[in-house]
Amino acid sequence: MGTPCHFALFDLQPDFRLDLDQLATRYRELARAVHPDRFADASEREQRLALERSAGLNEAYQTLKSAPRRARYLLAISGHEVPQEVTVHDPEFLFQQMQWREELEDLQDSADLDGVAAFKRRLKVAQEALNEEFAACWNDAAQRDQAERLMRRMQFLDKLAYEVRQLEERLDD
Amino acid sequence: MALLQIAEPGQSPQPHQRRLAVGIDLGTTNSLVAALRSGLSAPLPDAEGRVILPSAVRYHADHMDVGHAAREAASADPLNTILSVKRLMGRGLADVKQLGEQLPYRFVGGESHMPFIDTVQGPKSPVEVSADILKVLRQRAEDSLGGELVGAVITVPAYFDDAQRQATKDAARLAGLNVLRLLNEPTAAAVAYGLDQNAEGIVAIYDLGGGTFDISILRLTGGVFEVLATGGDTALGGDDFDHAIAGWIMQSAGLSSDLDPGAQRRLLETACAAKEALTDADAVTVRYDAWQAELSRAAFDALIEPMIARSLKACRRAVRDSGIELEDVSAVVMVGGSTRVPRVRTAVGELFGRQPLTDIDPDQVVAIGAAIQADTLAGNRREGGELLLLDVIPLSLGLETMGGLMEKVIPRNTTIPVARAQEFTTYKDGQSAMMIHVLQGERELISDCRSLARFELRGIPAMVAGAAKIRVTFQVDADGLLSVSARELGSGVEASIQVKPSYGLTDGEIARMLKDSFEHAGNDKAARQLREHQVDAERLLEAVQGALDADGERLLDADERLAIEYQMQELRDLMSGTDGAAIEQQTKRLSQVTDAFAARRLDSTVKAALAGRNLNEIEDN
Repeated sequence: MGTPCHFALFDLQPDFRLDLDQLATRYRELARAVHPDRFADASEREQRLALERSAGLNEAYQTLKSAPRRARYLLAISGHEVPQEVTVHDPEFLFQQMQWREELEDLQDSADLDGVAAFKRRLKVAQEALNEEFAACWNDAAQRDQAERLMRRMQFLDKLAYEVRQLEERLDD
Repeated sequence: MALLQIAEPGQSPQPHQRRLAVGIDLGTTNSLVAALRSGLSAPLPDAEGRVILPSAVRYHADHMDVGHAAREAASADPLNTILSVKRLMGRGLADVKQLGEQLPYRFVGGESHMPFIDTVQGPKSPVEVSADILKVLRQRAEDSLGGELVGAVITVPAYFDDAQRQATKDAARLAGLNVLRLLNEPTAAAVAYGLDQNAEGIVAIYDLGGGTFDISILRLTGGVFEVLATGGDTALGGDDFDHAIAGWIMQSAGLSSDLDPGAQRRLLETACAAKEALTDADAVTVRYDAWQAELSRAAFDALIEPMIARSLKACRRAVRDSGIELEDVSAVVMVGGSTRVPRVRTAVGELFGRQPLTDIDPDQVVAIGAAIQADTLAGNRREGGELLLLDVIPLSLGLETMGGLMEKVIPRNTTIPVARAQEFTTYKDGQSAMMIHVLQGERELISDCRSLARFELRGIPAMVAGAAKIRVTFQVDADGLLSVSARELGSGVEASIQVKPSYGLTDGEIARMLKDSFEHAGNDKAARQLREHQVDAERLLEAVQGALDADGERLLDADERLAIEYQMQELRDLMSGTDGAAIEQQTKRLSQVTDAFAARRLDSTVKAALAGRNLNEIEDN
């Protein structure tokens, strides 16, 4: 069973730059069409189909909504499936990674809420910068390695953002 | 904000054409059933005009009381009067002990399955007790509405896990109710409040009931209610406020903690009365036997402060999970009787920086919202489009991996329905079976998470160790219930799955309970089964006819249509007979024959949605 490309599902051209509001609007329209609640009085088979389609739609939406996941997906559909856990040589970024992590640990130890807020802001700026860089090079076959590297960095920062939320939760007492 | 009328000018179906469906709030302390009538959603009263049915069941040797009569007898007959049974749904005996309450009941059954309560009528599972409450509500509904119900929407706390949800669905089955949807309580409340089509923005629903607390953050946009995040505590509620006061009484009065069950009940009732009195008074005189003392509101606030703090922490977490800031919340809604406590309202107002909304009776709002959704799901079409509710899974779903760790497969607050797959392989040559342990929770160790069930996969084709590629798909439906399927990718063989719930009833136990309840009601089993097959056939015929009327001409060629109509006629012919098995078989055949048509219809609505056309246009041709 061939699944349509996530972009095609939303009637969009595969691209990294995306109007998130437009994506959200289309998602809501599509969700209306396939949500199981629309088929509560239909046959069991239709209900099951609706369930599958809904799940597929939600997966596509979650993938396109998140910049790192969108980036990964774009590379995959361009024929550059990137294996999940692979040690990559990215020495320049490795250093930055360590810095980010150390800072986060310090924030935890000092329970510095203002510091956490500032950290989040800088993290956001860094993520936006990576997004811009990726947007500029992903479609260029000659810069494929760079695109992959950038995508991994995006993933790292995404994970870091999650850890910041966990830290906020731990500090909230 | 007044309760909105959902009147439909120009569309007033005849009463007998309207499909009867209700919304049921099966609460810890109180239950209600509501329905949409003449465009208004309202709770249905009993013969005495009371809309609330206390969630209390008293078992006598040969009959039972449900509701007010049962609750009034609680202190006189504590061992046979079951209160707050919702706290026991989907839980094991160890949890019950951990809840910290002194539940006076005699529990039987020592395994991890649901604890049974010993009564004069024999052991009762929490599912059966809940079913007894639901039966009364169902009867009330059918009497009020004058007909058989097509189905019901039953609400559950958003934070209920899979076991708790499944138990609720099982109870509904036992009560003979067709569950149209298990709806999260905060979402139901949002529906009741948000019916004004102009309502847009981010809403926080703070739902503090008798035994459970939920916080949900929703975004309302053009008739779509999207849950952004949900959080809560299924062991936090007004009951805990009562226990706090009871503890204060015991300490102040020098009571020993070794009270008999009757005295325990009386103590809690006294505490509850004091709590309610303090809603309007600054102080209240509390009496217990010969002792009395004054409890000021300030002292009461101090007693409940830790519990309120817990709820606020869950609120902050939900806001973070939503990816928004507190300031982005444009309205806060209070749900549940316990939100009448003044300190709760103040605290919530302080957190969100705005006055919480309390216009709709906090005891009724959930049932009212559920009834609105039930009406839609039953198939009563509405002008101006329908609401769409997009909910989320409240707790992460994962698997047990090496070393007792929990590996998350579906993170919390993922929009449902959702399906994720994971691949496994065998570790022994010729291994044909595999066991997967599924849990829910946020922690790393499985001992800190809720065990849901063990899934045994059988029928894996014999291969060299490590050669098999078994893809296991975890699917969570719109009710928040998990189902698991597995396929060996190389051979395409679908594994058979046997589910062993950790805290639920097995299919065998339910079948036995259903059988017992039929026999008890004096029903002939065969007649009952025949009727069920006929009802299923009727439903399918109606659905297929509706589909043909709407899209038959557009999406089917003459041969295909004839084939479907032929199977329909075969089914109609069988339905007037008494061969239940033949009816069941023909129903399946008709369903198969319409499979491709169903897929085409779905594709068609999707295309239309993208083209931005009004879906109503298509349906009305």
